Amino acid sequence: MSAEPVPAAAADATTAPARRYSFHVEEPCEGDRVAKFLEAFAAVLEYTDYKALLDSYCTTSAKCNRCAVTCPVFQVTNDPRDIPCYRTNILLEVYKRYFTIGGWVSSRFKSHFELTDEVIDEFAEVLYRCTACRRCTQECPMGVDHGLMTRLGRYVLSLIGVVPKALQVSVREQLEGETHNTSKVPQKAMLHTLDFLSEEMEDILGVKMDFPVDEPDRDFAFFCAVSDYLMEPDTLMGNAAVLYAAGDWDRWTIGTDNFDGINYGLFYSDWHLENIIKRLLGEVDRLNAGKILIGECGHASRSAHQFVPVFGDRERYPVLNFMEYTYDCLLKGKIELDPSIITERVTYHDPCNIARSGWIVEQPREILRAFVPNFVDMSHAGRRNYCCGGGGGLVSVDEIHDFRMEIGGRVKAEQMRETGAEIVVAPCANCKKQLKELVEHYKLPCKVMGLHDLILKAIVIPGGKSPAERKQEAELYA
Amino acid sequence: MEQAITLARGPLFALAFGIMVLGLARLVLLQVYELAVGKGRRLQNAPWRKIMGETITWALPFKHFIKGTLLFSSASFAMHIGLILVPLFLADHVAMWERQFGVNLPSMGRGMADVLTLLTLFCLLVLLGFRFLSWRHRAVSTPTDYWLLVALIVPFASGFLATHPGLNPFRWEVVMLVHLLSANLLLVLVPFTKLAHVVLFAFDRISEIHWQLRPGAGDRVANALFGSEAKV
Repeated sequence: MSAEPVPAAAADATTAPARRYSFHVEEPCEGDRVAKFLEAFAAVLEYTDYKALLDSYCTTSAKCNRCAVTCPVFQVTNDPRDIPCYRTNILLEVYKRYFTIGGWVSSRFKSHFELTDEVIDEFAEVLYRCTACRRCTQECPMGVDHGLMTRLGRYVLSLIGVVPKALQVSVREQLEGETHNTSKVPQKAMLHTLDFLSEEMEDILGVKMDFPVDEPDRDFAFFCAVSDYLMEPDTLMGNAAVLYAAGDWDRWTIGTDNFDGINYGLFYSDWHLENIIKRLLGEVDRLNAGKILIGECGHASRSAHQFVPVFGDRERYPVLNFMEYTYDCLLKGKIELDPSIITERVTYHDPCNIARSGWIVEQPREILRAFVPNFVDMSHAGRRNYCCGGGGGLVSVDEIHDFRMEIGGRVKAEQMRETGAEIVVAPCANCKKQLKELVEHYKLPCKVMGLHDLILKAIVIPGGKSPAERKQEAELYA
Repeated sequence: MEQAITLARGPLFALAFGIMVLGLARLVLLQVYELAVGKGRRLQNAPWRKIMGETITWALPFKHFIKGTLLFSSASFAMHIGLILVPLFLADHVAMWERQFGVNLPSMGRGMADVLTLLTLFCLLVLLGFRFLSWRHRAVSTPTDYWLLVALIVPFASGFLATHPGLNPFRWEVVMLVHLLSANLLLVLVPFTKLAHVVLFAFDRISEIHWQLRPGAGDRVANALFGSEAKV
């Protein structure tokens, strides 16, 4: 096992220009990168609120190393660069040296920190070895939010063009492209997919459901990760099945102008984060919907839940994760789940973005306990969960696949194996992709699916086929 | 020597204490200003109950003793007990508080003060040992992380020796002067080092507030750097 991220371009190193980072960037930042970095940092400090936080962290950071033992990346590599405090300290040193009087004075009297090209390279590398899971933040006695510092560092770097190409291209398409979504799915293709899924659901469930599209004045405007339309249709069908079974089919709609809940701005840019939220709110306004209903996606849920109140209006746009909605339906007796369908051993992976804050921890477990007799929790479940290894946008960066498998996701793979589960439920598009790759990489005897994929199998559909009948058909088909 | 001791425990102490109070007040005011004025309306989005809860649980962090940091965390926690109680409630210090500021505090017994002092010294040495011997700690430590521990050890060690003539191999006046000067220096250091968490502790758990980003800031940064036609 290598502690170093494996450069994907190693194979064609003879023909391709050498890469500075383990991830691809669109246009390498050339010229005086130090001056550009400092100019960008100065602009960020001028227009944002980070200065007080940096002042505070510069004063109180204890460097006690508790963050090291909590970090799943450091646990595997034992590389000091992967200690969250080490990473944060690079940013704090830059701040102290170039943006405080004390730093300016001390630079005149003793050997001092200097920002160099090498420091920028190291900074870029360590920031994208962090999955931004914020596990370390929970255990910092001084409350240093290394996740926020990683994000701030990435933000400054992105302003000089140092950002994984995969993230930048996706954000560009979402904000400036024609399709307004990260996977460049044309509206027409999305509508065809919905037609296909309607037919599929009629086959599976025995009732006809036409997905509501661009319906005005509904209670819920629905946004899932766009990948649910492409690669995780069972999750989307599970969502639809709950709405139908709960009698809420006429209360929701999907918008065609913006149907992607993904917000990569959460991982690296205040600028993009806000503009993506504004696009989402624009669609809610266009539809005149009452609430924002986010599908199974950790970061899409967190970015909407945390930042709609910041950039929009909390009262005007309540945000609900789909699991909250399903749990509410279950509590009110609006849906019924057949406990005899899922006989496999099932475990649950907590996506960091919804579990770390304690927002969504018990709801999915309560749902699972309602119809999965053999449910088992992982070690370190809930708020203290381990990241899948692809958090912070890393899962979208294909060229660091080896890092995600061998380092970022190793602890999670071991956790999954320990449970002996045959099904790992991961209610997040990014986590699912990463965990599926981990299952393949480590040859784990389990499959990964969303919570609503499982619900789709066990939910009782009024007027439709029974779950037992559906199970029988599925087994025959298989 | 007598005059130096009088100077150190009188005007110098008052000066050091004043610097500490003013310095800490400045830090608190900056934090409050940032929250009240900088964040403004966005404060209503903050999870206040969670912030309060976590601030309290970190004051007595028993549930945060995690595998891999048990010794370091225990030493850190235990060190704080003597660090807070002895300067405040040792009988000699109680007399000093009353003399200087007219504040009448209850005093602890000499035996208890000795136990807490030795515990604090032991813990400080453990923490210093980690800084020198653990590569993980060395990797993130700055010079301040080392000398600050020494700056804490000196007043406690000299204070212990000054109150135990049988164990003190040095002249009492010298030890007492070292104790007074190092304690005064420590007071001055409080607002300028991580010791400032004596008050900033109350603001440690507010990162969720700092996630309440300033609306429009992203556009303004992009505009400043790339002009009004900035593209992704």
